[in-house]
Amino acid sequence: MTRRDFLLGSAGLGLAGCGRTAAPRSRALVKVTRAATYSQDLYDTMRRVLREHRIDVRGRRVVLKPNLVEFEPESAINTHPLLVHATLEAFRELGASVAIAEGPGHRRGTLDLADAAGYFGTIPDFEDIFTDLNLDDVSRVRLPHPVSHLRSLYLPHTVLGSDLLVSMPKMKTHHWTGATLSMKNLFGIVPGGVYGWPKNMLHWAGIHQSIADLHSLFPKHFAIVDGIVGMDGNGPIQGQPKAAGVIVSGREPVAVDATCCRIMQIEPSRIEYLTLAGGLEGIAEENIQQIGEKPDSVETRFELIMELRELRRVRA
Amino acid sequence: MEIDFGALDSIRAAQNPDGGWPYRKGGSWTEPTVYALLAHQAARTTAPHSAEAVAWLCATQRGDGGWTPRRAVDQSTWVTALVALLPPETIGAARHARAVEWLVGERGMESSPILHLSEFLRHGTLPEGPDLSGWPWFPGSAAWVTPTCLGILALKKRYWRQPSSELRERIGAAQAFLLSRRCADGGWNHGSQRSRGYDSGAYPETTGQALLALAGMDAPKLEETFGLAQGFLREQRSAGGAAWLRLGLLAHQQTPADAPLFRMPCRTLPDTALTLLAEAAEQGYNVFLE
Repeated sequence: MTRRDFLLGSAGLGLAGCGRTAAPRSRALVKVTRAATYSQDLYDTMRRVLREHRIDVRGRRVVLKPNLVEFEPESAINTHPLLVHATLEAFRELGASVAIAEGPGHRRGTLDLADAAGYFGTIPDFEDIFTDLNLDDVSRVRLPHPVSHLRSLYLPHTVLGSDLLVSMPKMKTHHWTGATLSMKNLFGIVPGGVYGWPKNMLHWAGIHQSIADLHSLFPKHFAIVDGIVGMDGNGPIQGQPKAAGVIVSGREPVAVDATCCRIMQIEPSRIEYLTLAGGLEGIAEENIQQIGEKPDSVETRFELIMELRELRRVRA
Repeated sequence: MEIDFGALDSIRAAQNPDGGWPYRKGGSWTEPTVYALLAHQAARTTAPHSAEAVAWLCATQRGDGGWTPRRAVDQSTWVTALVALLPPETIGAARHARAVEWLVGERGMESSPILHLSEFLRHGTLPEGPDLSGWPWFPGSAAWVTPTCLGILALKKRYWRQPSSELRERIGAAQAFLLSRRCADGGWNHGSQRSRGYDSGAYPETTGQALLALAGMDAPKLEETFGLAQGFLREQRSAGGAAWLRLGLLAHQQTPADAPLFRMPCRTLPDTALTLLAEAAEQGYNVFLE
């Protein structure tokens, strides 16, 4: 067995063994939680969220993967550090060993970016528990059933060696894909040290197809979407802050992202990567068990750029 | 400003037993290894274990003449330009020549003849600016600002030693590419100055890199870029960005802004090395342009 095989095997094993303790449900469980502001209440909120998902992570290695994009702490561009810290504390209380890791797509100074985004000031000993995924050691992983023309990807050991990857994106519109949520956030695990800044090879392979391929490697990663204040308009960088007042979570990323789209008043069946990864069945409302708030009750119109207006959800 | 020999000590201490350098910790990568060697060159000294470093680098060259970012990666990439910035004597003239050959043969997909032919067959038109030709980070993708800047700097060094029309034309096409990617504010970001009808803003690090790569060129409106770069420098938010800005401004005989010097900590080995390279440039020795 090669090291590569070992790493891939251990990632798969960890993900498989790190599930909810209850018997598998036929419908994907997605929780929508109201959270109006980034306040100390988030610590209790995240404890309750994880408890409701009944995640067993005692003794496991959990990697939180926020979305860090730009040096703009006052904008809605990065996942808020308070939500990341609240999630870290909640996983630790469940007995997990927790790390934070991210590999931004455009900017090279990841730690400087995290500093500017408030992570150093919010999360104690941040530098000790953080890994820059752009510069981490890597191994090549074969894509089992690629839909893009990629056949393999180099991926960082911190992610491959984790038992549970937790994607923590910002709820944002995206000027190419329509929406960037937990699945698109996995672009940040692709190492810039190999592919560059931006990771343009993924775009040439087909942006939707590449998202679906990354999802195929981590189909059961856990998702916690920061929709307290998201971004609409010309996201994911130049849009406007948009308060949606929600945190959306679950261990079926396709179902979580489809729910986020509904909250944003975007039609999930028109987001190509969602249908590539989950098919129409995976995003159908009847196949998603919603707990907490009903998406209809919290939906907020996220403005779309003109070129993407056909993605707008139209109710029958 | 004097060379910070403490920084050089910290670079030396970070060398891996295999001879290469990591970004922060872990395995050796080509990029930090090259920067570590360039930092020693800038300080006009030799790394204590330079033979091991050069051996590590030489073993990382691929059969096609290019360099892979690290040994686990089975592909020559943008780091080839970085290695070609080292003096030929360091890695050997033959290896250096093959690196340059690889660089000359590599270009962004948007300027590849195959893509142009495909566009012509599909739409009956040729893309504008076929003589714009930068470098990609990873083969099979588009050209971007940073690898193009490093490619220009590497080929310029080669050209100064061994002039040829081929090198001159390629440098010119790459500089034209760079100018075509300038942002509306006068600087450069990663290489997307406008997307979906919206202007994008410049970044400090890439603005500094572009200024460096355009050294000696009578580019229009660079005054605007100088002002932007000085502003970035005053509000610096990364050591790497500040170092690139200083290197870029000095390449145009501009005195860098009187800002809190290198206020940001150096958090990676390239940050430390680039800071040292900027200090050397302030003393008149810019390793990118010598």
